[in-house]
Amino acid sequence: MEIELLSTSKDKSTIRFLLKGTVPAFANLLRRVILEEVPVMAIEDVDFVKNSSVLYDEMIAHRLGLLPLTTDLTFYKLPEKSENMGKGRAEVELKLTLKAKGPGMVYAKDLQSKDPSVRPVFPDTPIANLLKGQSLELEATAVLGRGRSHMKWSPGHAYYKYKPEVEIRGEVKNAGAVIEKDHNKIFEMKNGKLAVAKEAALSCDLSLEYSELDPAISITARDDEFVFTLESWGQLSPKSILEEACKVIEEQCTEYAALMKESA
Amino acid sequence: MIIPVRCFSCGKPIGHLWAQYQGRLSKGEDKNKVLDELGIQRYCCRSVFLGHVDLADEAAQFKKF
Ligand SMILES: [Zn+2]
Repeated sequence: MEIELLSTSKDKSTIRFLLKGTVPAFANLLRRVILEEVPVMAIEDVDFVKNSSVLYDEMIAHRLGLLPLTTDLTFYKLPEKSENMGKGRAEVELKLTLKAKGPGMVYAKDLQSKDPSVRPVFPDTPIANLLKGQSLELEATAVLGRGRSHMKWSPGHAYYKYKPEVEIRGEVKNAGAVIEKDHNKIFEMKNGKLAVAKEAALSCDLSLEYSELDPAISITARDDEFVFTLESWGQLSPKSILEEACKVIEEQCTEYAALMKESA
Repeated sequence: MIIPVRCFSCGKPIGHLWAQYQGRLSKGEDKNKVLDELGIQRYCCRSVFLGHVDLADEAAQFKKF
């Protein structure tokens, strides 16, 4: 198996790579492990001291839970991997406090974190609006968790497609009609002839329309190469999401092998 | 009511972009262009912005039960 990086977005939150020499089942395994098994920090419990805002406690707690928090996986541990679920331990639980008085909007940046390395990724996310005389005071507890129990603990969005292969065999008679239908810009005109734009061919959505327009165009998909997109929500970098996913796969395979040995 | 922190469908964090979006729209900019430039690509996230009516300040004036 091989990985070839295709592109990185400007803000470095999204990467696109080619996964070569593997099977669809593995590409899907990687996708699911990223979505469901890579741990990130999120607020789990909220204690309200005061809330006279228009939003109910539950709504504010829900909004706080959905905030992506920058995650340091070298220090924090999953509660289930710590003794007594790690209640009160610094490497398991992190307290964040919020105190705000109206009028004005309360933002994610108003949360005071006990650990400066864990903070909201998007400080300008609005939490609640306060009118004059209204106030909000709370203490939140953030823990590591996994996407399989709640999507707030999912590190990002991962998806893939079979690698498209676009080929032109022989002479294209309806070049004009093909260019007109070509919303992904996978074709271009070269010296008055239709040609495949090399770089853009990967964004082909495998539409059969082109081959219907002209039999000289063939569009197929490889089932051993995948165009994989990984979009991080900001808790971890796309690279560390991938590394962590690989670690999880390895751990689970080792556990599976041990269980098989035991039962044999 | 108040802009969701994340997109309902894909989970992308979008709440922090609402103020920018509103500000640019009030200057007469085109919705399509603003959404593109804010990096809101998928139609699930775009629909959250297009369908949202910010009523939090109006609702805040009434009593909560
Ligand atoms: Zn979305």
